[in-house]
Amino acid sequence: MSILKLDNVCYQYDSHSPMVLDNLSYEFEAGKVYAVVGKSGAGKTTLLSVLSSLAAPTSGTIYLNDEDITKIDKYEFRSKYVGVIFQNFNLLPHLTAVENVLLSMNISGKKFEEKTKKEIAMELLQKVGLSEDEANRRILKLSGGQQQRVAIARAISYNPDIILADEPTGNLDGETQDEIIDIFKMLAAEGKCIIIVTHSPDVAKAADEIFALKKSSGKKKA
Amino acid sequence: MYVINNAVKSITRNKLRNILIGIIVLVIAVSACIALSIRQAAETTKEDTLSSLSITATISYDRTSAMKEMASSASGEDMDPENMEEGGKGSFDRGSFDFDALTSSLTLDEYLTYTEALEDGDSYYYTASLSLNASGDLLPYGTEESSDDETEETTADEEDEDADATEMPDDMGGRGNFSMMTSSSDFTVTGYSSYDAMLDMFGTDGTYSITDGEMFDEDSSALECVISDELALYNGLEVGDTITLCNPDYEDETYEFTIVGIYTNTASSDSGFSMNDPANSIFTSYGAITAVEEASAEAGNVTEDSDGEETSAALASVLSFTYTFANADNYESFAEKVYDLGLSGDYTVSSSDLSSFEESLTPLETLSTTAMWFFLIVVAVGGIILITINIFNLRERKYEVGVLTAIGMKKSKVSLQFLTEIFIVTFIAIIIGAVIGACVSVPVTNALLDSQIESSAETQNTLNENFGFSADGIPDADGGEMSGSGKIDRFSTGSATEYVTSVSSATNIYVILELILVGLFLTLISSLAALISIMRYEPLKILSSRS
Repeated sequence: MSILKLDNVCYQYDSHSPMVLDNLSYEFEAGKVYAVVGKSGAGKTTLLSVLSSLAAPTSGTIYLNDEDITKIDKYEFRSKYVGVIFQNFNLLPHLTAVENVLLSMNISGKKFEEKTKKEIAMELLQKVGLSEDEANRRILKLSGGQQQRVAIARAISYNPDIILADEPTGNLDGETQDEIIDIFKMLAAEGKCIIIVTHSPDVAKAADEIFALKKSSGKKKA
Repeated sequence: MYVINNAVKSITRNKLRNILIGIIVLVIAVSACIALSIRQAAETTKEDTLSSLSITATISYDRTSAMKEMASSASGEDMDPENMEEGGKGSFDRGSFDFDALTSSLTLDEYLTYTEALEDGDSYYYTASLSLNASGDLLPYGTEESSDDETEETTADEEDEDADATEMPDDMGGRGNFSMMTSSSDFTVTGYSSYDAMLDMFGTDGTYSITDGEMFDEDSSALECVISDELALYNGLEVGDTITLCNPDYEDETYEFTIVGIYTNTASSDSGFSMNDPANSIFTSYGAITAVEEASAEAGNVTEDSDGEETSAALASVLSFTYTFANADNYESFAEKVYDLGLSGDYTVSSSDLSSFEESLTPLETLSTTAMWFFLIVVAVGGIILITINIFNLRERKYEVGVLTAIGMKKSKVSLQFLTEIFIVTFIAIIIGAVIGACVSVPVTNALLDSQIESSAETQNTLNENFGFSADGIPDADGGEMSGSGKIDRFSTGSATEYVTSVSSATNIYVILELILVGLFLTLISSLAALISIMRYEPLKILSSRS
């Protein structure tokens, strides 16, 4: 059963611009890693924005567990149901790594009864490979790879069903890339649906399914 | 809760930005605190003084409006061409003007009628004054024994003048004739309706006190009096002795008063005229004055002028009726109600106490008004600066807004976090500003007040000099025709005014509350533009543009 379903989804930035996503229909299932591939300008990042409700499709419908996501408050959708790992990480520089993770947990409003939020955040950061010392550093004092790990920890901190990642290994060396892929596989094994936008053949090879996007012909929607 | 935590973290981790905002708010807070404190000091001083002020008022004929009426008559319908031809320019029909009104006065019964307008705690008293001459061996204080004849001659000479004298223009509720005020009689005998009427003199703040014997009985009509120790010593009089006073217009008409007390007056001084010398003031009961007046009227003595025309020599007292009020509200109420009780619109109710009091506050109130304008300008300018800073601040933090909304934080909560940050910084700055303001407000207020008083004094001195008066209000030796120290009172800022020269406390809980309200106002106003921007931001656009 699909957790996320695209039904004839179209997207264009405005009525005068060409169609970026053209009648996309696809079903994403829980427990799998998906690699969204395609040439530059094919609409990979746009698809991720539409899936994370940062952008609304021009037409078509996206279903979350068979429920139209437009019926769900978009802030609630982003803070509870999907975890987004941005290409540029988009972490808050004045906060530490653990504070960035904690902030997402607080925004989600989810209850964590067994342990304190800070304990959970620290465990997550250690799970993605950050030491306690690194977890307490401000973002700007961490390397690109470490920031990427913080972004992953933040995305999974409130236990969402779907993880959306935009070029999560783009800035990383080969060894770190492998570690990140392992983390995604581990999350998929836990029942998450992982959708990764990537140019990397290694990441695509590691995915359970590949969703190839072709560059739109440039036609406008009637 | 996490919104507040996040706000606190944001403040502590962006110190420079928040210190800058804090300093601006601090300057606004100190300035506002001083300005509000000055206003508060003015109000407190006014209320405190007003609550302890004994307000007295009198009803008097409104000569100003009468003169205006006269002026309008001169320039109105009465100035027809015929009159112009006959009387020249500016003449008016004197016959149409009611001169009697100018000299009209209220009777004791009328004054008493208006006491119905008094409230609980208010009271009234009245006095009647007679000018009487010495008779027999009695000498007014300050005259030589040999001058007795001179006095008599003077009195005799004045009889003719008095006969022709016009009736006294009454602004004190007087009902006598003008001759009494212009003749240099030996004594002023004042009858008081009650001891309350004498509180100004014999009260704890007064300069008079009985040193021998006792005060006359206020309810008695017996001719009993108290005289000054100077007069007693001058004539070798003691308590129990009698003095004989006579009608200045008819010396054979005499009245014998028994001395029941001797008073001393620490402010006694020689004025040059025996009647005006405080030592020649004799005090008795109102009943005694009435008794003398009635006896004089019954005697029916007359004087004859140079034309052989007979004029009554009956004594007539000058009535002065005073209403006292527990507070200013009662006074205001009385001033309105009294007209409902039948007082003519030609009369006005006035209080010299209240006028003096209001005048004494002039520099402080001027300062208070200036301070409030200063306060408004500071808040307006400060508000504009804060709005500008917050707009720039938000542009810098646009990325933060984008991230927060992208990870699911609602815009309303982002706005709340930004508002909380500004409020915390503003609140801390206002508290520090209030402490600094409270410490400096009193010395600053007093320094500004000194400057204001000095400015008022300089203006007054210039005014005095232009009118030929010396700086202290006493006419210059070469002051020209405008002589007489009393004239200085014509100017609203007479030198006799005792200004409020200092305040002891200024900042109180109300000022602090007002400051906090100002802080809230500034926070909301300065955040408004920023909050509107937040509501319009779209996270995808912000993050895309950053990418």
